[in-house]
Amino acid sequence: MQPSYRSLFRLVVPLLLLSSLLWAAVLFAEPPTPPPYYAIQNVRVVSGAGAPVEGATVLIADGLIEAVGKNIKIPGDARVIDGQGLSLYPGLIDAMTTLAQKQAAESSASGERSRAPAVMGPEDRPATTPWVNPTEQLVEDAKIEKWRKAGFAAAVTAPEKGIFSGQAALIDLVDKPDRQAVVSTTVAQRVNFTGEGELRSFPGSLMGVFAYIKQVFLDADNYSRVKATYTKDPRGRVRPEYDRTLEPIETAVLDKTPWLLPANLGREIDRVVTMQRELGVPVILYGGQGAYDRAEALRTAKIPVLVNLNWPKEEKNRDPDAETPLRTLAHRRMAPTTPAVLAAEKVPFAFYSGGLATTAEVFESVRAAVDNGLSNEAALAALTSNPASILGVANRLGTIEKGKIANLVLASDWPWAEGAEVRATFVNGRMYQERKSDEPTEAPKSDVSGTWTLSMQTTRGARELKADITMAKDGKVTGKVTGERGEYTVEDGRMSGDQLRFKTTRETTTSSWTLNVDGEKLAGTMSSGSTTMDITGTRTSKADASTAAGDKNKKKDDVPLTELRAALAQYQGPAKKMGTFAITNAQIWTMAGPTIEKGTVIVSNGKIRAVGSDIKIPSGAEVIDAKGGAVIPGIIDCHSHIAVEGGVNEGTLAVTSMVRIGDVINPDDVAIYRALAGGVTSANLLHGSANPIGGQNQVIKLRWGADAERLKFVDAPPGIKFALGENPKRSNFNASANGVPARYPATRMGVMDVIREAFTAARDYQRSWADYKKGARNGIKPTLPRRDLEMEALVEILEGQRLVHSHCYRADEIVQLLELADEFGFKVQTLQHVLEGYKIADEIAEHGAGASTFSDWWGYKVEAFEAIPHNAALMTERGVIVSINSDSGEEMRHLNQEAAKAVKWGGMTEMDALKLVTINPAKQLRIDKRVGSIEVGKDADLVLYNGNPLAISSVVLKTWIDGDLYFDQETDHVRQGAVIAMKERMAGKGKEKKADDKVGSGSSLSAPSPEVRWADSPYSCSEGDE
Amino acid sequence: MKTIRFATFAAAFLMASSALAAETLVIDGATVHPVTKNPFVGRVVIANGIITAVGADVSIPPDAQRIDARGFHVYPGMFDAFSSLGLVEVDAVSATSDHTEMGMYNPHLTAASAIHPSSEVIPVTRANGITHAIVAPRAGRDGVISGQATLINLDGWTVDEMAVVPSVALVIDWPGIVTRRYDPVTFSFKDTPYNDAKEAAEKEQNELREWFDAARHYRQAEAVKDTRAHRDQKLAALSLCLEGKKPVIIVAETKRDIEAAVAFAEDYKLNMILAGAADAWRVKDLLAKKNIPVILRRTQSLPREDDDSYDQPYATPAQLQAAGVRIAFASSAGSGGGAPSGPHGSRTVPYEAEQATGFGLSEDDALRAVTLWPAEIFGVADKLGSIEAGKIANVIVTDGSPLAIESQIRHIIIAGREVELGNKHASLYEKYRARPHREPSGAVGARR
Repeated sequence: MQPSYRSLFRLVVPLLLLSSLLWAAVLFAEPPTPPPYYAIQNVRVVSGAGAPVEGATVLIADGLIEAVGKNIKIPGDARVIDGQGLSLYPGLIDAMTTLAQKQAAESSASGERSRAPAVMGPEDRPATTPWVNPTEQLVEDAKIEKWRKAGFAAAVTAPEKGIFSGQAALIDLVDKPDRQAVVSTTVAQRVNFTGEGELRSFPGSLMGVFAYIKQVFLDADNYSRVKATYTKDPRGRVRPEYDRTLEPIETAVLDKTPWLLPANLGREIDRVVTMQRELGVPVILYGGQGAYDRAEALRTAKIPVLVNLNWPKEEKNRDPDAETPLRTLAHRRMAPTTPAVLAAEKVPFAFYSGGLATTAEVFESVRAAVDNGLSNEAALAALTSNPASILGVANRLGTIEKGKIANLVLASDWPWAEGAEVRATFVNGRMYQERKSDEPTEAPKSDVSGTWTLSMQTTRGARELKADITMAKDGKVTGKVTGERGEYTVEDGRMSGDQLRFKTTRETTTSSWTLNVDGEKLAGTMSSGSTTMDITGTRTSKADASTAAGDKNKKKDDVPLTELRAALAQYQGPAKKMGTFAITNAQIWTMAGPTIEKGTVIVSNGKIRAVGSDIKIPSGAEVIDAKGGAVIPGIIDCHSHIAVEGGVNEGTLAVTSMVRIGDVINPDDVAIYRALAGGVTSANLLHGSANPIGGQNQVIKLRWGADAERLKFVDAPPGIKFALGENPKRSNFNASANGVPARYPATRMGVMDVIREAFTAARDYQRSWADYKKGARNGIKPTLPRRDLEMEALVEILEGQRLVHSHCYRADEIVQLLELADEFGFKVQTLQHVLEGYKIADEIAEHGAGASTFSDWWGYKVEAFEAIPHNAALMTERGVIVSINSDSGEEMRHLNQEAAKAVKWGGMTEMDALKLVTINPAKQLRIDKRVGSIEVGKDADLVLYNGNPLAISSVVLKTWIDGDLYFDQETDHVRQGAVIAMKERMAGKGKEKKADDKVGSGSSLSAPSPEVRWADSPYSCSEGDE
Repeated sequence: MKTIRFATFAAAFLMASSALAAETLVIDGATVHPVTKNPFVGRVVIANGIITAVGADVSIPPDAQRIDARGFHVYPGMFDAFSSLGLVEVDAVSATSDHTEMGMYNPHLTAASAIHPSSEVIPVTRANGITHAIVAPRAGRDGVISGQATLINLDGWTVDEMAVVPSVALVIDWPGIVTRRYDPVTFSFKDTPYNDAKEAAEKEQNELREWFDAARHYRQAEAVKDTRAHRDQKLAALSLCLEGKKPVIIVAETKRDIEAAVAFAEDYKLNMILAGAADAWRVKDLLAKKNIPVILRRTQSLPREDDDSYDQPYATPAQLQAAGVRIAFASSAGSGGGAPSGPHGSRTVPYEAEQATGFGLSEDDALRAVTLWPAEIFGVADKLGSIEAGKIANVIVTDGSPLAIESQIRHIIIAGREVELGNKHASLYEKYRARPHREPSGAVGARR
């Protein structure tokens, strides 16, 4: 034992590390170094590694647990701590924080941001710093002491900014984190699904982030292989470039380091599961609050979860009239049930504090999980042994076992239990004792519980605050203070005599409140740093014990989860699963022959089995009497942007063929249900028109209630969006005025050049692979080419494997594109919008492109000024396969009417007009073997109207997809009523309001998690010009 | 039938009809839909721009030009109750837009001073049976009083010829509490904290009240002989709207904003017309009680809230009508995520009306809401809105209901003159339909 040496060492290390300016502070702040031997006796050990042991002894020596058990001899040099009446738990682990990190200097103004060079592609490695590790520069953090006081002994700290933000390290919670504090430098690599956003810099969309992440992993793989080949046999090989970014990623992949990927809502979790399958690396999901209905998928994929304890709540300073969607309300209610569900489904999970400011809030959140069915034992595991095993340090941390690091917490109860007192926290074998405040305390003279209105005198006048306070018998005070800026938790609150003292924290500033209570009034001060403000207050309501208990009971009276789930299923899901059924007495527009009057359609197992006027109905089939209404094939929208999350444009670059709409489908978009109510059953979800070559499209069936993968129209061939004219050349948007760097092209010449250049590069890319396969040439051995997702999509076009859907307006640019396609030997599958197609219908027909146009939109920009509503009819006359599309979640609801306009303008027959939204778009998307007409063997995607399907006054009564009823006008009001009733019940606790009275500011679907938040992109539907 | 056009340079505002059309017309043999009473087969006689006789067998003046309309229907020309016709040619090109002036309070500006009579959009619109329209200026992002709307006929060589009422109503964009706004700079929705949004709205609402207070004061001062008050265009314009003298269109969408606007209008005894009004269905009883008519946003809109019924916008017109609220359809009082805004959507106003018929509105009421009711709302039912003797002869001859897509318009008569059906779209159609067929050979574009 050489305490003097150790002290010296502790002084020298900081000396070497810190600047001389800090030297004095380090010197004076140095605490004593007691001998590192402790014995805790007569304690109840709740180890997490077995049943609790009563009356046990735990020995600690040199930072480790030396012994655990009964009848253990206490060494003479150990400080003995009596644990009578107390329990000893493993030290708690906060599984993700930003503790002890140096705050990156905030680039204060966006001006700074705009001066930084824009990212022009994945090769620029945007927001990618996988080499950053917080342990390289740990700093003091006032939050550490607060966390430790509550029983936290260790925490993961991970950089939070960027896509590949850096490495997550596990540290012990000591005041001055030094080398000893580092338990593990790299427990994981953290990834966020955020980027620069908007148009400034790649990636500017969620799908762009996904494509980028995949490209980086491909690059790391290539890097690894090329390097290995070179190292083995460098002669005759070009030396691979060093890549700072790929080095740590390669290392992580080789070491099987887990990747922290963010997801909260169910659909986000699905994306992570898919991504894990594609990347093939170990994944830890963080966020995880919506895992209550994804537990099975997570278990199957073997993805552990770090659950964010910052449960979703109503935002502060929210518009009181704004309506909250049922999905959001339900998510708030169900998020705290996630831990119990994960525990039951045996998905490993751990808790993290998720930015909560105080441990009181962290523990309140743990209690919420316990109230929702999680056992205290499982909660303990989620704070100790689970994080240890998920993070690969279970051999060192997480339980109270001999030889493990002595991270322990001595407490009167589960540390999160109400009224629990943490007496001591051991970190790395060192005891941090919780001392009682040195303020003299006396018994409270009165009960301050209740709601107080406080008035604070600031330099800008009086500000009003509200304090909700509950006092325990011993004078301990808890509660909340609410002001304009938000809500603060009362910390270290105590009523002593007639003086009420507590603290609140806002960001990093702690305020101390000292208030003298006189009956229903109080007066005093609030000090925050060097400023002190006067406070006066009056009690507006007294909360006595009985109402407090009443509140609790009321909480338990929450809407039963089974009922809530039932309401959600009714809200989002097929109206009715169907067996074999027959639609009789219908006018059937088959699109494959003459219309059948008084006909019958038989459907079973999702397929059309029979169609005709004299059809025998199979026994047991449900009969639906159409009462003379019209049955048509499900409407197909060849151009839509609904159900896409995180931006429909990756508009930052001129060519973004690597991004995929299929990665970011939002199955929770209510636009799906609304489109079903307009008879739409399939839709082509396209990337936007911000660039000459945009992203990959995704054809879906509108199976409302299915997850993203099950929305996909599996047999639809893949495609891609191109765009010509004003949008890709950014004519109607002042880029420089909006701080967006100029982007080539700015003319139609440039647009065509970008496309030609891209295909020229794609041919080179094709050749580089062919050359590689040929082997050495003139003694130079070829390097393994890099897989390039952007190029791969273009090569697929050249090989006829990917369909081009090109946004276009003017006749001349259309001809230009068709010529270019001829030059490179591919076909343009559809021309989208093609508003001047009527001028060059022969050329389009000769090329064989389809045309998908608007019915009668015109004049909103110059290239739409010669648009005419006769376009569809005129192109059809000249032999072009034409469809009418919506490009809008609204227009989508009445595509039948839009088709009818071709009867009026251009004189098409009703039959031909209806083909514009059924069999023709099916042909254009090459899904006509499955859908688009009512023929035996095709998918039972059907719509029933109460009259002529081309008349505005006709209403969609029913919509079936794959033989299941997805929209039913007859029962829609029941569904709607259930939604409203459930919302009223859920809102009932707070505001007694009828849903009928509520108005709002268009709050959208359940908001995505902050790590996955995206602005709406330009050239989206709102411009109406996709 | 040959269309005869008279270039009329005579004073335009005589009788408030646009022109002195020295033409006598009779539409003969059609089913006449007067709107004010049941349809019948008969005649409509038009002289000097005015309907002079309507009946089963009214006599035909000797000099009348006869339109044989047997088997066809005659309807009043349709009324777009809120448009930007003539103020905007191409939305994306600001040089072609005179729709939104800078500044927050512009009560003195009048649409009539910027309407472009030769806008290509006007003939396209009337070809679908729209014969007259309200043309309304709109306020910019923070604007409140947009200016004065003009009622025009969709025909005329000059604005004077077109204008039926040059200043028909004042337009106010209600300064509501907006907590979420689309930011065109970042292409994203920006949220404003509620308290800030409320403060901003209250400030603007107070300013608006100050403008009306000032207008009252100004009127009082101006009435005094030898007044010391200086002429003030803005206050003079505003003072004409006090005590219901001139209608005031207030554009407001949410329940909260509508209620606030109604309270404001009541305080100043305004003849309020509510426009936009997505939430009108939530306050229909209030609107009925206060006798406030509504110019509807597009029926083909998306529901405002995620959890609203899918068909709420379709059902709103019928719900208002059933509650006793006067309604009128319009192209530009608000759109809901579908067709691009701007004047180009004026021609589809009849379809907005027809859309409501699938959801509870009767065909007759749908027709009234694009003919008679907007005329009543704007106080011009003595001149427009039905086929009755004495009214301006804005009528259309069709082969079916003008609200149905499949119906074709055969004749359009505006202010007593038959107007050509031809327009930019029809010309382009004819031109390119006549393009000789290419024989398919060689690469695309190799020739030409």
